Amino acid sequence: MVWQYGRRVFWFGHNEDRRTIMVHVEAVREFVVENFLFGDGVNLKDDTSFLESGIIDSTGILELITFLEETYGIQIEDEELVPENMDSLQNVARFVARKVGVSRAGEPQDS
Amino acid sequence: MDFHKNILQIDSKSEVQRICLFLQKHARAMKRDGVVIGLSGGVDSALSAAICVKALGKDNVFGLILPEKESNPVSADYAAKHAKELDIETETVDITPALEAFGTYEKRDKAIQQVFPEYNHECKSKITLPANLLARDAFNFFTLKIEDGKGKVKSARLDKQTLNGIVAATDSKQRTRMMHLYYYAERMNYLVCGTTNKTETIEGFFVKYGDGGVDIEPIGHLYKTQVYQLAEYLGVIREIIERAPSPDTFSFPVSDEEFYFRIPYETLDLLLYAWEHKIPVEEICEVMDLTQEQVKRAVRDFDAKYTATRHLRQLPPALA
Repeated sequence: MVWQYGRRVFWFGHNEDRRTIMVHVEAVREFVVENFLFGDGVNLKDDTSFLESGIIDSTGILELITFLEETYGIQIEDEELVPENMDSLQNVARFVARKVGVSRAGEPQDS
Repeated sequence: MDFHKNILQIDSKSEVQRICLFLQKHARAMKRDGVVIGLSGGVDSALSAAICVKALGKDNVFGLILPEKESNPVSADYAAKHAKELDIETETVDITPALEAFGTYEKRDKAIQQVFPEYNHECKSKITLPANLLARDAFNFFTLKIEDGKGKVKSARLDKQTLNGIVAATDSKQRTRMMHLYYYAERMNYLVCGTTNKTETIEGFFVKYGDGGVDIEPIGHLYKTQVYQLAEYLGVIREIIERAPSPDTFSFPVSDEEFYFRIPYETLDLLLYAWEHKIPVEEICEVMDLTQEQVKRAVRDFDAKYTATRHLRQLPPALA
């Protein structure tokens, strides 16, 4: 963990793979459970679709975006706001890992 | 269930008769002598007024035209012209002073200035969702677009706080109209006639206690495309029928599709019908020549909007 521009920013070096993803999953899980599930995350699996389950609606996604941008020091572009990147804990975690420049075996670096 | 492209075609004559009986029944039941209807210059209020005249007689229908300084000027003109065709009594009340007294514009501008500090009274603004859901998938996030009065346009994605600030201020326009409608309705012992259609009702495209604050909804069971069918049948003026549907709430012109629905009405209504009747995805694809991905995207959007706006369609909860 490092500090950048006065904000806590998660940064991992090369060759962080599944562990990195899991750390991101847990960080996002904590945020989602606290902000959208009133502390009850029992039914929230890593691949639970936020949209299909109704956990996060259109204003909720805005809160998630703000959380990710502030927590990870990243800028999320409009084109990146697609279910593939944002619609489950594991999708968000993979997306964040790519955005902060961590490579995972078999996945291309985000440019 | 048999699903096909013409499934939304209705027998206009018998449908109008059915709605007339509905209006007559409920006006009697509520012991009201007529209806007040807000005429926006759009097809929904135009159709609603035309049906009310047929049901209750022109002398028992009162049209209220409620423009404000950011309304499209043609809205009031079209509303007045249509009212004249119906030969109903109307009154035009500019609600700008009421909005200014409440601080609608000031509150809205302050919210916008969180994103664009340079925003001022010469600028125009609107908020939009990502375009064309069927062409490209995207979450429902709102983008603020401003025009500086000299043709230059800037845009920025909204965060929740700013979005809520803009929406809350803007919704006060519809709520102010509701207040005016009820003043006249109560004074005249009339009902306030709603103008929300089924497409809007399902997707939550109305303001709680704004245009949703009414006594009766004569077109609440009609999809938008069916509204147009009946509007043609009853001779609503061409200007209104040919006008692109718009909330007419923002100073920067925006269509219903841009602002909220993300799919054109002709396609949207068929998909909504299929969603409502749980038509299998494969059948929808075949009839509408869409891919499974496109249909699933639309269904996901309907589910999300329907769930998020459920509270708009319910009475406030209370303990038994």
